[in-house]
Amino acid sequence: MSDTLAGVAAPMGVVVTPATAARRGRRRPRRLLGLIVPLLVLVCWQLAWQWELKPRTIIPSPHEVLTAADAFFFGERVAGLSGVVYFKGAGWSHLATSLGRCGQAWVVAVVVGVVLGLGLGLSRWVADLLDPFTNALRAVPLFAWLPLAAVWFGVNPTSGKILIFIGALWPVLVATTDSVARVPAAQIEAARMLGTPRSRLWRRVYLPSALPEIVTGLRLSLTLAWTCVIIGELGGTTDGVGAMMNAAREAGRTEQIIVGILVFAVIGFAADRLLRLLSRRFVSWSDT
Amino acid sequence: MTEALGRLVAKGVCKSFGSLPVLDGIDLDVSAGRTLALLGPSGCGKSTLLRVMAGFESFDAGTVTVDGEPVTGPSPTRGMVAQAGTLFPWLTVRQNVGFGPRDRGDRQAAETVTELLAATGLSDFADALPRQLSGGMRQRAAIAQVLANRPPLLLLDEPFGALDAQTRLRMHEWVRGLLAERPTTTVLVTHDVDEALLLGDQLGLLSARPAKVVALRDVPFGSDRGRHTLADPAFVSLKAGVLNEVLEAS
Repeated sequence: MSDTLAGVAAPMGVVVTPATAARRGRRRPRRLLGLIVPLLVLVCWQLAWQWELKPRTIIPSPHEVLTAADAFFFGERVAGLSGVVYFKGAGWSHLATSLGRCGQAWVVAVVVGVVLGLGLGLSRWVADLLDPFTNALRAVPLFAWLPLAAVWFGVNPTSGKILIFIGALWPVLVATTDSVARVPAAQIEAARMLGTPRSRLWRRVYLPSALPEIVTGLRLSLTLAWTCVIIGELGGTTDGVGAMMNAAREAGRTEQIIVGILVFAVIGFAADRLLRLLSRRFVSWSDT
Repeated sequence: MTEALGRLVAKGVCKSFGSLPVLDGIDLDVSAGRTLALLGPSGCGKSTLLRVMAGFESFDAGTVTVDGEPVTGPSPTRGMVAQAGTLFPWLTVRQNVGFGPRDRGDRQAAETVTELLAATGLSDFADALPRQLSGGMRQRAAIAQVLANRPPLLLLDEPFGALDAQTRLRMHEWVRGLLAERPTTTVLVTHDVDEALLLGDQLGLLSARPAKVVALRDVPFGSDRGRHTLADPAFVSLKAGVLNEVLEAS
């Protein structure tokens, strides 16, 4: 008996699908392709500066931006005065502040979104109770909350966190609710038949089965959260990348504004990549 | 082994979906440790009958009992394997096989799982995910997953229907060996006459919908059945007769 089985099992091995092979093979040339557009933009920018298409205070050179970025992160920091937005050498602390604000509000949104989503997806009763309410709130454009938040809290990081929370909540909530509701009935039946008590179904079947889609929601919400962080830093604070950019605008330092934009781009991109990497570990079983 | 468990008795089971009658007074009695193969035309309600026995479907009239206990809902004492298998795609083979024992707080779970992995020839694939397995391996894992609970009753709903002919024959031989070592009352629903005659101790023939048991007979082959049986003249003529009956029933 075992002989025949070994005969069946051995040549099968672990399957490498053609899709994975193709993805691996195509990776290198694709990456190089992705560099063309940024390089082109850089060249145009340099030329625009060289030919002085606009005053140089409005279009600084790439080199000036690079120098500013270097000063932002690696310059010597002067002793702090309250009420002043620092630029030189203040990069890391601005970045840490912005990341902290964003992270705090995002984590709260994720926890609330997943818990609420599980409730909405699992319980008819909870869905009937909350669906109309959440759907109506979801229809409100994110930045329509800003005037209200500004009246209640002012234009400051607290309002920013509230916007981040609202913005990050919906993708997580919707992804969780939908994917939990779509868990195949056969999986639930199988678990019940195998002896899983009803009270543990959410942890043993619903959550893991829905996880790939929830992770997609997490990525979307993180991008949104990072988008909102600057809103709360336009006033009421001297810390954060947004505060630096706002101060740079008032001082007419375009190169510093561009440094801020680059920081947002790099961090946003890196955070998404990091989340994708982490999620691969947990949802590697699904093909997405 | 103490007294064999798993006597399945169905009496006058009727069920309809809305106004559509599906089961029309099913009477069955499978003694402990025996295998009943149910054959019938496609769409006759075979799968519904099995789902009723598993406790997934309610029924309108009649009784279904296992060792005298009425069936009221799904239970680890009645393990069911469907055609598509019931493996959880996010768990490894080992975790899938150990799913039931773990949730029932079985202390010997690890030993049971290791033993079943060996019996299913999946020891080398214990840490693989279901999607990395071939169809045959996946169904072996699905059967191991259900057997890990040591159910007195095993319900197989066309478990090898999606496999190619050679793999299916290997699986038949393998299941015979597996169940010989673990006496388990088994109800096998199939449309494959070979499969029914190779695995069944008893053969039940169902009519077209609404399903009734139109014939019930013993299969006159011993425990030594396998690929060689297929060429046995007695097997060939019995198969022809049964096939004829199935075709007439539809």
